[in-house]
Amino acid sequence: MDNTVVKIENLVKRYGQLIALDHLDLEIKEGEIFGLLGPNGSGKTTTINCLLSLLAFDKGNIKIFGREMTPVSYDIKKDIGIIMQNVAVFDELSVYENIDYFCGLYISDKAKRKQYVEEAIRFVGLEDFVKFYPKKLSGGLLRRLNIACGIAHKPKLIILDEPTVAVDPQSRNKILEGIEELNRNGATIIYTSHYMEEVEQICTRIAIMDKGRKIAEGSKDELKRMIRNTETVTIEIIGLSDDVLNEFAGLPHVYDTKYEDGKLSVFCSGGKHNLIRIMDVLRKNDLSFGRVYSELPTLNDVFLEITGKDLRDKED
Amino acid sequence: MQVFKVFIKVLKSKWLSSLMYMIVFVAIAIPMAKEKTAESKFELNSLKIAVFDKDDTPESQELINLIKKNNEIVDIDEDKNKILDSLYSESIDYALIINEGYSSSLAAGNTDGLFGSYHVHDSYSVVYMGQFLNEYAASVKACTVSGMDITEAVKTVGSSFSEETEVSMLSEEKNSSDMPKFFGGYFRYMPYIIISAILNALCPVILTMTRRDIRYRTNCSCLRPSSFTLQLYAGSTVLVLVQWLVLIAAGLFIFGGMYSGRQWLAVLNSLIFTMVSTSLTVFIASFDPSEKVISLLTQILGLGMSFLCGIFVPLSMLSDSVLAFSRFLPAYWYVKANELICSDVGFGRVFSISDSSSAGGDLLLYMGIELGFAVTFAVLSVLVHRLRYGRVSTVAASY
Repeated sequence: MDNTVVKIENLVKRYGQLIALDHLDLEIKEGEIFGLLGPNGSGKTTTINCLLSLLAFDKGNIKIFGREMTPVSYDIKKDIGIIMQNVAVFDELSVYENIDYFCGLYISDKAKRKQYVEEAIRFVGLEDFVKFYPKKLSGGLLRRLNIACGIAHKPKLIILDEPTVAVDPQSRNKILEGIEELNRNGATIIYTSHYMEEVEQICTRIAIMDKGRKIAEGSKDELKRMIRNTETVTIEIIGLSDDVLNEFAGLPHVYDTKYEDGKLSVFCSGGKHNLIRIMDVLRKNDLSFGRVYSELPTLNDVFLEITGKDLRDKED
Repeated sequence: MQVFKVFIKVLKSKWLSSLMYMIVFVAIAIPMAKEKTAESKFELNSLKIAVFDKDDTPESQELINLIKKNNEIVDIDEDKNKILDSLYSESIDYALIINEGYSSSLAAGNTDGLFGSYHVHDSYSVVYMGQFLNEYAASVKACTVSGMDITEAVKTVGSSFSEETEVSMLSEEKNSSDMPKFFGGYFRYMPYIIISAILNALCPVILTMTRRDIRYRTNCSCLRPSSFTLQLYAGSTVLVLVQWLVLIAAGLFIFGGMYSGRQWLAVLNSLIFTMVSTSLTVFIASFDPSEKVISLLTQILGLGMSFLCGIFVPLSMLSDSVLAFSRFLPAYWYVKANELICSDVGFGRVFSISDSSSAGGDLLLYMGIELGFAVTFAVLSVLVHRLRYGRVSTVAASY
């Protein structure tokens, strides 16, 4: 049985001369936490807007739950929840009234809605704040309210568009835990972010986007295996000669070295005892050194190697 | 009805300023309706003057006779304390002393030292009498210089000063004789309140309901855009109808009973203007103005139309160039219709389209033009919305 929840085929979206989405293909399976990772302007939000039929696209096809998605696909929309970066609630309504309003856009049965709203309040832990108005809530509580408004109608597909931007670390962790719990309860999640650590932490499958194109897709381990780098050893060392640097570069499995500002970085591809061999070179040349650390590749390294750009610095 | 219910809840937090406008308006209207006296009569101010004639000549008597014509001469003893007491107790406004030698000085062309007086400093009577006496003496001097003898000069000036100038008052309110006092005024001032109250209450609510991120979330839901719009219209209609009904009900209270006859036309005219204001508010809201801009627009539109369209200043007092501009504003046509309704023009002429003599004052035409404004603003709102948000329904394009 086909368990595809979202299928995007050959999607193209242009804004005048600018191609926002360039022949994008995506397939998201039931029960996944699917991460859309990319710098700002890479096309993540445009993808979501097209997916929700809020934005007309130039070419391609989008199917959700096996049916074509159009602006009037209300039978599909009833099973989708959306949580945005901005807190989209009424300042004039209390916590309960806000959740009830947004839940009421999907559920007309009053008794059922009451039950759903109360469950959503319990899920995000706002039981003590039901009569509070948004202006009286802290930033973290507001985010929780925002999530409750998006999930109260118990959607099967939940789309979270950068929900942790400008959120404190504690609230961020709670949000991420909540997303995992929603997934355990059966919801398929689409999670867009430019914070690679979050995507690495919760997503079961990830698509990396740049300039409207999908440049890589897979689980985090699959993505990391796509690149040459498997380990980067960094040593704080002063006065390193070119001869010694060449000696490091000549070690087995080392494919590149970099010496900058008293820091030596040795990039390895495969191999099991890279750190020991590097330490041997240090001892043989009787070199004094400070801290030594070894890092495994991150999704940023994947992005860096594929695009030549640093994901973290792309805050455009 | 989720959207409608929330509309009303949001409204509760926004309608206070609108209510203030209506309360102030009604509070001002009540005393105006109850106490306003007819302003169509002109009456010359009269002073209570005590005159002490120390010259006692025909010339001084001529002056006293002239003063007597427009003022009341009070007879009191020539005692300083008594005079001051009378001034203090306001039983006289001015005490004039015609100095000895008045006649001879005047005949010699000398106008200094002719009079003495007791008066209250900086009072209206001092200015009035001072001006009168100076003018009188200067006029007599002018006659004597031109060759008249003093007796002839005094008579000539006396008869000249006795001539009455015809004064006709321009009435602000052209109330029909069968309408309550201030009825026309109440309905003439109403557009200012309607437009201010609606802009202040409706615009912020529409903006809240259609806030970009809220609308985004709503558009992602199962709610059809047409249902959302309909519920929004329903909420807006309830709001403006309540505001209008409050003003109409206040009118019932102020004028002491149910409207009758052509008074209902004034009520209808105000309903049409309420529709214009609503349409204008929706048009303004389509530009997503900030609260400060709404407040500014309330002042500009409310006061601007009031001054340019005959609400605060009667149309008859506005210049042709102002009126030429005012024709492009809906309040002008409201005021024109209101003036016609509240005038003595017969019912037949009010409605007559065929009667060429009343073509310029045709009520149906005026009301039709008002409705035209309402339709125009509504169409413009749709156009602006389409231009801003494009083909696919929403705010998403601007994200």
